[in-house]
Amino acid sequence: MTTRLSNNEVADRALESLRASRVGTAEVFVRDALSGSVETKDDALEVVTVRGERGLGVRVLDGQRIGFAHTSDLAPAGIDACVDQARRMATITEPDDDIRIAAAPLETVDLDIYQPGIEDRPLADRGAIALAVEQAARSVDPRITHFRKTSYSDAEVTTVIATTLGVRASYRESFCGAMTSAVATQDGERQIGYHGEGARRMADLDPESIGARAARRALEKLGAKPFPTQKLPVVLDPWMAMSLLGAISPLFSADNILKGRSLFAGKVGDRVANERVTIVDDARRKGGLRSAPFDGEGVATTTRILIARGVLRGYLVNLKTARKLTSAPMGNARRGSYASPSRIGPSNFYVEAGTDDPAALVRSLDRALAITSLLNLHTINPVSGEFSLGATGTYLEKGAPAYPVQGITIAGNLTHLLSSISGVGTDLTFGSGGIGSPTLVIAELSVGGT
Amino acid sequence: MTVRDVERALRTALSRGGDWAELFWERHETLQLVLDDQRIEDAITGVDQGAGVRVASGDQTVYANGNVTDVDDIMAIAGRAARSVADESGLHEAASLVPDDLPRPHSVAIDPRTVPVERKVALLRLANEVARSHDPRVSQATVSYAESVQEILVANSDGVHRTDTRVRVNFAVHVVAKDGAVLESGFEAVRGTRGFEMLTDDAVRGAAEMAARRAVLNVGAQPAPAGTYTVVLSSEAGGTLIHESVGHGLEADLNLKGLSVYSGRIGQKVASELITVIDDGRDAGQRGTSAMDDEATPTQRTVLIEKGILRTYLSDRKHAEKLGIRRSGNARRESFRHLPICRMTNTMIASGESDPEEIVRSVKAGIFVKKMGGGQVDVVSGNFAFEVTECYRIRDGKVAEPLRGATLVGQGPTLMSEIDMVGSDLGYSTGTCGKDGQGAPVADAQPTLRIPSVVIGGKVQ
Repeated sequence: MTTRLSNNEVADRALESLRASRVGTAEVFVRDALSGSVETKDDALEVVTVRGERGLGVRVLDGQRIGFAHTSDLAPAGIDACVDQARRMATITEPDDDIRIAAAPLETVDLDIYQPGIEDRPLADRGAIALAVEQAARSVDPRITHFRKTSYSDAEVTTVIATTLGVRASYRESFCGAMTSAVATQDGERQIGYHGEGARRMADLDPESIGARAARRALEKLGAKPFPTQKLPVVLDPWMAMSLLGAISPLFSADNILKGRSLFAGKVGDRVANERVTIVDDARRKGGLRSAPFDGEGVATTTRILIARGVLRGYLVNLKTARKLTSAPMGNARRGSYASPSRIGPSNFYVEAGTDDPAALVRSLDRALAITSLLNLHTINPVSGEFSLGATGTYLEKGAPAYPVQGITIAGNLTHLLSSISGVGTDLTFGSGGIGSPTLVIAELSVGGT
Repeated sequence: MTVRDVERALRTALSRGGDWAELFWERHETLQLVLDDQRIEDAITGVDQGAGVRVASGDQTVYANGNVTDVDDIMAIAGRAARSVADESGLHEAASLVPDDLPRPHSVAIDPRTVPVERKVALLRLANEVARSHDPRVSQATVSYAESVQEILVANSDGVHRTDTRVRVNFAVHVVAKDGAVLESGFEAVRGTRGFEMLTDDAVRGAAEMAARRAVLNVGAQPAPAGTYTVVLSSEAGGTLIHESVGHGLEADLNLKGLSVYSGRIGQKVASELITVIDDGRDAGQRGTSAMDDEATPTQRTVLIEKGILRTYLSDRKHAEKLGIRRSGNARRESFRHLPICRMTNTMIASGESDPEEIVRSVKAGIFVKKMGGGQVDVVSGNFAFEVTECYRIRDGKVAEPLRGATLVGQGPTLMSEIDMVGSDLGYSTGTCGKDGQGAPVADAQPTLRIPSVVIGGKVQ
């Protein structure tokens, strides 16, 4: 058996190989992840998965041309081959004077994102969590009859970055999460309700509330009717609001701004949302699911207000776009895996809590539609900002549920959506993707139906 | 890795109990080149190699997987799988492996790895020029080329040992058009389980022209009206409709749980008699094609709905056995990191009898959908939604002004029983299907269809 190099040895070997092939500037990135998951069926464990994943990504900057290669072959010969490939890729791309490899030294910072030993627990423990989620859903109501899927998963991840310009740092993080899709049945009608949550530590994950929320999401749709086409106020609870917020984040990408693909281009200092709305990207939130001390390029992360009381304050930038916009680097380059270069993106991205009690907000509306699920979120066009989504909802009169509806659409433009937010609740909640939102009321939205 | 090594891994996997074991090994080579904002901005290449070992005992499945460099790594994964098996019922022997190879549904004329990178870069520049010169309102273009060669080996304790190589190319053009403060985009791709021969200058030029035309058309279009309309779906629109409204609901895993709107309905009428639905994993060169699925079952042409009658489901090994149906070769996985799940390959509504032009002429007032984008379905209720990326009003039997930002929503079985005209033509589209966090390359196809009444999402006038 070939000797297994440690993560630091892999990074060292890649740096040596770069030096030996006279590459002036480069970045190496190693990620090592151990994960486990369980799925249940009929009150028993159905699938148990254990996974180990480790790989290297190398980014070479040669004559201001960037090249990228990755490998999962971490024997010395595999690392050398990866470096060679990255050099070859750098001969294909075209030069850009603003590309930089990180050079600023990184300070150590504890963000409370790692619980040691999460991967050492027995399988039975993991299974018990998934089963508790199902149990909690069933105990909400006897009409919860099936589960499309219930799972629990966790992971421990180590990230190492090193550049030829002296940056060298690593961090460890842990994740755990549980989700279920509960099915409610009544008079031959079936409705599904999904809910999932994630945390950095086991103690912060509550299987009972996950199961119960999924059950309520399914039950609230039973008896759904068609709904006439109209414009009316729309209520987004924190979980529904999060899914739309995720679609807004590309508008802040400096790459999209510079390339004419964002409606926020040239709008810094302008009002782009209702004055009740403040949007923050905080990569340093303690225990945040997207918190990290440095980003995918090895730049220190930051806490940023992107929209302050409705006014656009800035964009998300990486090293290259920060130079182009003559701004300071902010550490917004996100890296999904060792196998792909970083892309500009949000970290813990949220709407700040407002001052309105969510229940009072809803009661103040004569007629409104509370959204209970959205279909086709992946088709929202971040360039035009337009969205037209399938939906289910609950029709409300004076805040009280009148009846559930299905087979409807909601449509609009993301920029218009931001300016028509007429109520922001106090109930800021974070979801498993690091996105957070309180309850939001949209003053008026187009609802398509019969 | 020799056949003996594979046998050793399977024996290790079953060393602590379990009825059945399987090894899935994969080596995936990729290259991606991106031209954006007039520059070749990304050149990315890599090799992803790994293995997954599955052990089934009763109703429980254990799956261990990870990146592998050598045979010892594979043995370690087999050992990890064995250690997670909790089966006291005794040991099972793995059968000796009998390697065989399945006939490939098509041949690859030009392995993309043998084509000089200059040629690939030239195609990116060609598409960029064609898109930008289409109209002064074209303000940005992103063109990407991706090649992917996935070699797999599947072996199991029944003695199966098979390999497959999937060569795929994907050339995509994304164009932005700007008119005043309005930004719109257009997309078109040329992709398939084919070699570089697919990417002729003409094909690339055509995709760039189409993406640019669509962006410019949408920037000048009126917002689609919300409400209920008669809709004609052109065969050019592709098959997102069949994929979302029916395909996912016919996956055997959901049906075994009794959760699909199609559960327990084999032999029953689930659609208009004009509707025949087929999934064909051997459709030569299509994006969802391969010689075998990811459990080594040969792919095949499966009639799912025949003249409105439900015939069978899309199955993998486990669910075919449990439901007592034939294995249809629809067990697919994104990579060694995942267990295979039941899903579509190339799915279509078969052509009918009506003249497509006559279908349009038959509608006095309605919507003509020329291109569909992505979609999603809630398989339990059957409610689906799909994006429309190019559509027009129909006025007095004629295609009239363009509309933008439309979505179609409905319920699968209801929609399928309401379709009242099926054209004699057939058009394909390609995409990446997402299910349980795994992506899979697919193609869909349909003839021109008339739906008497369906909800369109858009702006309330």
